[in-house]
Amino acid sequence: MTTTRRDFHKLVLTGIPSISMAVAQIQSKPNRSLINGVQFGLQPFCYHDLAMNIQNRAELIRRLVQNGMGMVELHATWCEPRFDAPGVSAKEARQKLREWRVSAPAEYYRKIKMEFDAAGITIFTYYVNISDEDTDAEIDTTLEAAKILGANGAVGSYGLNIAHRLVPFPARHGIFLGLHNHDNLSDPDAFNTEASFEKGLSFSPDFKATLDTRHFTAANGDCVGFLERHHERVSSVHLGDRRKNNGRSTPFGEGDAPIIEVLRLIRDNHWPIVALLEFEHGTLRTEVEEVRLMFDFCKRALA
Amino acid sequence: MKQLFRMIGVLALATVLAAAQSVSKETYDFNFIGQPLPDTVLQHAKETFVLFGCAYCHGLNLVTRGEATDLMHSRLVGQDVDGNLIRPLLRAGIPQTAKLSPMPQFSDLSDQQIGALVLWIHYARSEGRFKELTEAKDPLVGDAGKGKAYFDQKCASCHSGSGDLAGVGKKYSGAALKTAFLKPRTLDRPRSWRVDELHDAKTVVAKAQHRALLENYSAEDASNVTAFLATLK
Repeated sequence: MTTTRRDFHKLVLTGIPSISMAVAQIQSKPNRSLINGVQFGLQPFCYHDLAMNIQNRAELIRRLVQNGMGMVELHATWCEPRFDAPGVSAKEARQKLREWRVSAPAEYYRKIKMEFDAAGITIFTYYVNISDEDTDAEIDTTLEAAKILGANGAVGSYGLNIAHRLVPFPARHGIFLGLHNHDNLSDPDAFNTEASFEKGLSFSPDFKATLDTRHFTAANGDCVGFLERHHERVSSVHLGDRRKNNGRSTPFGEGDAPIIEVLRLIRDNHWPIVALLEFEHGTLRTEVEEVRLMFDFCKRALA
Repeated sequence: MKQLFRMIGVLALATVLAAAQSVSKETYDFNFIGQPLPDTVLQHAKETFVLFGCAYCHGLNLVTRGEATDLMHSRLVGQDVDGNLIRPLLRAGIPQTAKLSPMPQFSDLSDQQIGALVLWIHYARSEGRFKELTEAKDPLVGDAGKGKAYFDQKCASCHSGSGDLAGVGKKYSGAALKTAFLKPRTLDRPRSWRVDELHDAKTVVAKAQHRALLENYSAEDASNVTAFLATLK
């Protein structure tokens, strides 16, 4: 699956679509979760009762369809085998994953893409956390996997230092790299504020912000102001609700995140920013039912 | 004719009840929350733990997910008495951390809600520790001398080897003895809400003490005390 230099040149010759074009394609393609000009998708972490693994991928697709979702941010663990087992140390399991990643054939990911295609679901982004433990070869094959899956970008939770290391990688694969914020204001390396995003985005034009409205709100950030100023560099929002001052997650509409305002900004300005629903507030309802309620909230906001 | 109407009425009622049940089955997340517990106070505590999102990070049964603190083995939880340590921590959160996401603050929760979270944390921890101590693949061989020392320090204020526990080593053996001392039957008995039993302080205190011990026994403690109790023939 590794991209050889020859493959790379072929890609360049055939023309790598620019990131903005790739994102714009989403707008022109009718999708079942395109609602009044806003493309919705799901961060399937929301299905808290469903372990994110290969075995549950068919159930994930079934639920996405049930929830009326035509787009997803797919975590790598839905595609990659797990190597942790009794008697296998964490270090050994990590090494086995590393070896698997650099040797997995492209066909493996093509088949996964076909599963989602068959259900009418576009993989918008591939979510994979990258750390100092990842080798360059591993990062390359992982981003290439994202590309084969049809993703426009790869997103992950890491800080400024790792982001800086990742600068040369996305262009090799014709995708963008999404920077995802949390709300840890005590960590100078973290993506947590507008300033930290500005710094990270300045590293490369291939970097995009994946603005997490829950965490940004909990870190007392201004989501509306951020989008107003940086919408051209924002690929998606992780849309959810939380209270300010490191407050807890809440059902949509009960916290401080300006969900309705964010959705209307995207709609009224025709920004190609995907709204990926995500929730971490607790619920006694089934996850499918909770996602349905969140989605209904958003649809009403755009009615 | 009357009978026919009665039958139709019964059938209609059964249909309505069945429909109501199926709705609740469809919308209640049994997959994640599991079947309801017989003790409704504990069930409420469990649902509160889910409802405020604690279970998504710490795990419903405290098998931690991701980077969250392992409450099953946390020293702070082990030292907590009725929320004296957990309550202020929940109210303030942990904003200073090396983790990606700091523990949020729950300052807007009522005392009752925080109390329910504390109750569930302690219950789930004691259940989890019991499982760990009794399902260990290679149980340790206990040292009766060390077990006696532990017993004298932690148990002797309520129990006596020559009194209530005389002959316990004859009554139970091996794993059954370990189970009986780790989790005496009183621990699983739901609290009575009969007015004449409501303030039975002895039972309440005994349950709290046993649960606190169960939350903190090490594998060595459990094996040593079992070895000591086995000598009480």
